[in-house]
Amino acid sequence: MLLVLRRIYELSVRECKIFMRNPIYVFCMVVFPLAVMFFFTSMLESGQPQEMPVGVVDLDNSSTTRALIRRLDAFRTSQVVASYPSVSAARRAIQNNEIYGFIYFPKGTTERLLSSRQPKISFYYTMTSVTAGSLVFRDLKTITALGSAAVGQATMRARGYTDDQIKTFLQPIVIDLHQIGNPTTDYNAFLSTMMVPGIMMLFIFLITTYAIGTELKFNHGKQIMLIGGNRIWITLVGKLLPHLLIWLTLVFSYSFYVFGVLEFPHPGGTGMIVLLNLLMVFAAMGFGIFAFGLMPSLRMSMSISSLWAVLSFSMAGTAFPVMGMDAPLQALAWLFPLHHYCVIYETCVLNDFSLLECWWHVAAMLAFMLLPMMVAGKIKNAMLTYVYIP
Amino acid sequence: MNVEGVLTTIIEGCRDAARIWRDELRRIFKDEGVIIFFFVVPLIYPLLYSWIYNNEVVREVPVVVVDNSHSQMSRQFIRMCNASPDVKVVAYVDDIDEARMLIGRNVARALYYIPSDFQTRIYRMQQATVSVYCDMSLVLAYKAAYQTAVMVSQEMNSEIQIKLSGKYTKREEEIQAKPLDADGLALFSPAGGYGSFVLPAVLMLIIQQTLVLGIGLSAGTARESNRFQDLVPAKRYYHGAFRIVLGKTLCYLMIYILMGAWLTVVVPRMFHFPCLAHWQDLLAIMIPYTLACIFFGITVSCLVRYRENVMLIMVFVSVPLLFLTGVSWPQTEIPGFWQGVSTLFPSTFGVRAYIRLNSMGGTLSDVLTEYRILWLHVVLYFIVACLVYRHQVSLAQQHAKEAEAEGEAEEMK
Repeated sequence: MLLVLRRIYELSVRECKIFMRNPIYVFCMVVFPLAVMFFFTSMLESGQPQEMPVGVVDLDNSSTTRALIRRLDAFRTSQVVASYPSVSAARRAIQNNEIYGFIYFPKGTTERLLSSRQPKISFYYTMTSVTAGSLVFRDLKTITALGSAAVGQATMRARGYTDDQIKTFLQPIVIDLHQIGNPTTDYNAFLSTMMVPGIMMLFIFLITTYAIGTELKFNHGKQIMLIGGNRIWITLVGKLLPHLLIWLTLVFSYSFYVFGVLEFPHPGGTGMIVLLNLLMVFAAMGFGIFAFGLMPSLRMSMSISSLWAVLSFSMAGTAFPVMGMDAPLQALAWLFPLHHYCVIYETCVLNDFSLLECWWHVAAMLAFMLLPMMVAGKIKNAMLTYVYIP
Repeated sequence: MNVEGVLTTIIEGCRDAARIWRDELRRIFKDEGVIIFFFVVPLIYPLLYSWIYNNEVVREVPVVVVDNSHSQMSRQFIRMCNASPDVKVVAYVDDIDEARMLIGRNVARALYYIPSDFQTRIYRMQQATVSVYCDMSLVLAYKAAYQTAVMVSQEMNSEIQIKLSGKYTKREEEIQAKPLDADGLALFSPAGGYGSFVLPAVLMLIIQQTLVLGIGLSAGTARESNRFQDLVPAKRYYHGAFRIVLGKTLCYLMIYILMGAWLTVVVPRMFHFPCLAHWQDLLAIMIPYTLACIFFGITVSCLVRYRENVMLIMVFVSVPLLFLTGVSWPQTEIPGFWQGVSTLFPSTFGVRAYIRLNSMGGTLSDVLTEYRILWLHVVLYFIVACLVYRHQVSLAQQHAKEAEAEGEAEEMK
């Protein structure tokens, strides 16, 4: 037993020396991950886009339309930046990337409104950026509804109704929205909790395969097997132990930063976050070892790891939900650790349901963790016999 | 003499460049890693992504209903929600706790809660509420559930208003419900689909990323098969930085003319994403973009010591780069520092220009800024690529001289 520990210790020390020698490790295990964490949390700091530029085409130019424009400008998510002489000029402004949408008041809007001849106004927005487009859509839609309501309000006031009566008449049914877990639609809490773990997984996949692969590349396979007493498990554990510690430090400090400092909602509690992080790091390392064992060649296993990791951002189903995909893709989503991570995060951390509700996904993460068992023999074989061909 | 000399140099340079072009092409087809990134990824990935996002929007979001009112009006509300394209009522339950359980198991994504006095309040001329509880883990599902409820409530509101106001003609009723008619239209991509918004950016990004990865891998192989770990082989015609860069560029350009056409012209048409660009404008953007990516790739390739390192550096950048293009997160919201970082990458401007040309039907004059910056990138990265290669060439020559000296020394012995 002591011997085993000693071997593991020796291998770990050797690995740490490799870290010192090859600067790429420092970059990929410290600098880049920290940069990515900083990137997403600072990029999405405002939580929700604010003051999106919108334009107006006001051919009516009356006090009523100007009041509506002022109201639009006062919305948190919209800012009226320009007034255009015609619809086509405003359209060109969208194509020029100046505005995300505009509202059009044709000539005679107020006149027709006052004489009850139902004028028609229009608003246009671009969905080429869905986030900006849907926010601008919401504001423009609200403004037109307010315009309609203002007329009713004015007539009813003139007839002597109370404010309560007017409110009830104009809006008999009210929708009372409860956004559970994210009451401000904070995109930072929504995206940073998925993008950063995704990129962390990418680094874990790549660095794990890279670390094992470079041993073969420089023909050190036999040497480390010797230190590991010719037992592949001891070799792997010893070699990857420093990796594991670094990754755990990184993901735990990130969790502390987002949940502790930035205070992203986490009703599931600390225990669940710890469990989730453990599952994530182990599953990702398991996948990395498996990818290498599947094809014990550095370039192929790294290519597979990177392609898989990049694809998992789409297959995670956070931005575009898995339930909206075709059936075969819904099944394939199970092959991506990030998908399970996201489901467990949503169920247990964000919504505080019990682990039982997503135990299948936990089981899948455990399966990823155990994948190396299938290929350990193959890796051992490769370590002892493989010759690197450039 | 001078004119003749210059002419000979030019001809010789072209000949050398052509040789390097041939060498590079051979090297690409010998290297499976490069083949993956130059051919397999650009060919397969767009298809995969298009397939993932092909449904564009999320329909029939499962919703659970707690109807404590059990009235004609509450049933009408639920019926109308169920009839909308975006929402599907999957279960009626007795209380919120039961509904919570269903949401926890992902059977439903939202809850519509109708209180027991819903209809009574409406008949008493009081405001009635419908509570919508949304699971915020999927923004698209939340939007579908919430917007449907709002739309249905608006429709029922106008019905109630019409009944209450007691007008005589249909037209009067219409005006009563909607004194100011409004029409909203999503320009360029009327369905507002997820695929047609994110895919163009991904396609352009694939061009840059695969080029940089491929060039980096190929350079890494060249370095490793070299005796002195040099980037430049010790062959006679590899003696000028300019001709090396030119020869390699010709080779990559040859491949990426095809791949670029596939990615920006064929794939969007296959999956019916918006394709509004005129071919002249598209070509005008793609030429500087492809060249800028190639020179950028050559520059990056000189930085890597081992062939696999380029994967470690470039793969993870893809996701932040996609964000920096201003597609998923509005450009006006990107902090200044990151805007500055984003100007270093051709993809930022390539994606912006491509989206505005192809998805928004703009013309070259609409993307003039991006067009100019892309050409600026071409020039800058070309100069940098030549400089780094000049350094590599001198390194290689030095090594060759040392080797020669050593060889002579050994012969002397």
